[in-house]
Amino acid sequence: MAEVRLTDIRKRFGALEIIKGVDLSIEAGEFVVFVGPSGCGKSTLLRMIAGLEDISSGELTIGGTVMNDVDPSKRGIAMVFQSYALYPHMTVRENMGFALKFAGMAKGEVDARVNDAARILELEPLLDRKPKALSGGQRQRVAIGRAIVRNPLVFLFDEPLSNLDAELRVHMRVEIAKLHKELKSTIIYVTHDQVEAMTLADKIVVLRSGVVEQVGAPLKLYDDPSNTFVAGFIGSPRMNFLKAHIASLTDKNATVSLTSQPDVRLTLPIAAPSVAVGDVVTLGVRPEHFLGQGKGDADVKVKVDVAEHLGNTSYVYAHVSDEERIIIEHGDVRDIASRETLTVAIAASRSFLFDKNGNRLR
Amino acid sequence: MNVSRRATTVLQYAFLGTAAFLSIFPFIWMAISSTNKSIDIISGRTGIGDAFGTNVANFFSQVDVPLVFWNSTKLAVLATLLTIVVSSLAGYGFEMFRSKARDRIYALVLLTLMVPFAALMIPLFMMMARSGLINTHIAIMLPTIASAFIIFYFRQSTKAFQTELRDAAKVDGLKEWQIFLYIYVPVMRSTYAAAFVIVFMTNWNNYLWPLIVLQSNETKTITLVVSSLASAYYPDYGVVMIGTILATLPTLLVFFVMQRQFVQGMLGSVK
Repeated sequence: MAEVRLTDIRKRFGALEIIKGVDLSIEAGEFVVFVGPSGCGKSTLLRMIAGLEDISSGELTIGGTVMNDVDPSKRGIAMVFQSYALYPHMTVRENMGFALKFAGMAKGEVDARVNDAARILELEPLLDRKPKALSGGQRQRVAIGRAIVRNPLVFLFDEPLSNLDAELRVHMRVEIAKLHKELKSTIIYVTHDQVEAMTLADKIVVLRSGVVEQVGAPLKLYDDPSNTFVAGFIGSPRMNFLKAHIASLTDKNATVSLTSQPDVRLTLPIAAPSVAVGDVVTLGVRPEHFLGQGKGDADVKVKVDVAEHLGNTSYVYAHVSDEERIIIEHGDVRDIASRETLTVAIAASRSFLFDKNGNRLR
Repeated sequence: MNVSRRATTVLQYAFLGTAAFLSIFPFIWMAISSTNKSIDIISGRTGIGDAFGTNVANFFSQVDVPLVFWNSTKLAVLATLLTIVVSSLAGYGFEMFRSKARDRIYALVLLTLMVPFAALMIPLFMMMARSGLINTHIAIMLPTIASAFIIFYFRQSTKAFQTELRDAAKVDGLKEWQIFLYIYVPVMRSTYAAAFVIVFMTNWNNYLWPLIVLQSNETKTITLVVSSLASAYYPDYGVVMIGTILATLPTLLVFFVMQRQFVQGMLGSVK
């Protein structure tokens, strides 16, 4: 395992800048997840670390060595691809041992490493099969095995679970987490699935349009998002955003009033106010943080559109006004669908305030 | 099965049967004719005759069979292999490497498909004459090895080749030529098989260009020899049919041996 440092990393295709100056430190043994919507540059950034895309400017070091212009095979990385990228004309054994054999490793050593990886991943009965005779989950395990045998400094995973069905995805997620625990290797993992990010990562890097929006531990990002983008991206269902304005200010608090329901007022702590009375702000409330009527700091009346009952909980799709649609997680009540309106409470301590640019007001 | 479905099936079989008969009739006629004397063929006899042995003996006495087969085989195999190597490299390159000039160059390559060979014959002949290659087999092969159609075919087929395989191979330490040789070629073997069948048949049946370039009996191919037998003052059509059968056999053999891969390749399957 090794640490990875990115310093002002940029990627340009002609005049178009895709990665706009990424600075990042990944410690040895850390499981880091790049997450963001499609087109945010997370896969490009991973491919730049792998050496599959040139770095336009900036510096990449792996284990303290500058790797900008080093061949992918000499960077000490191994990569698992979204489509598995198994060589279809080779057996599982040949796929796993190909890179080692190609590097001139003795056959005995190649066999030993392949057998070890096959044992860890329970692939032993499949070693003489070709990829087309494997299921999606088995192919994914072979792809991981192919990475393991190389004993890399850093594992790179590019949306490895995207092609699997929901059940298998959960299973493989657990397998990857167990693998990290066992190998204690540095892993950089790309996904657009925030659940994967939350469950696997030691550290999440949220990207948008080639820019790092926030870096931190999963719960840190959940509990303390820096802006509306991160707040909306981390957490499922996503955070609700309600238009509001500053009704009054003190040294330590701001009282906001909802634009759609001016009677609804909520006082939140702000350490260093950078807003003035009357400024437009956004109030963020996660679906799971709504409380029953009268149990919070302010009650909000919503019109119910649809309710989804999942058994253990229910999601209410409702609207506060014509433009503001929200989702409420409501665990206890099963007859919501028959109601036209619902009153829920917001707790100031579980709410987030953002300025008009979407930046967090703390 | 109701009446309309049965009628549809009957029509389908009738259509396919007619098409199959029209396709296979020349071969049957060729085989039957090879057993008849020339005079019987001209008079329109359609039954099996007793002159097969005589026709074979006459063919072998008139034609240096080992030499013309060697010429044809050498030309067809070498030209096919060279065409496939050059065109698959070009197809791979056009698909894998991005540059501003790529599409313009590719359009130029495709444009050459629009130029009829008749328009190229004289300039090509002059080029070969100036290069001292007239009456050599190299002159036959050179104009065929960079085939625009086969480049197009390989480029289209390469679109089904997962680019992540190339990335994985790079991470595994392979250089570009090694990726081509160790990953691309085996993965695209159906495409290669289909291309081999198409190009081999084209080269084996090549007639016009060899007719212009090859001037001595020592260099002539089976198609030229059969043609010369058929264009004699008193052609012996029984002998011509023996020549035609012998000229057809290698292409039939190649097709039937590689039929499965050919179909897969034409369907664009990457296994």
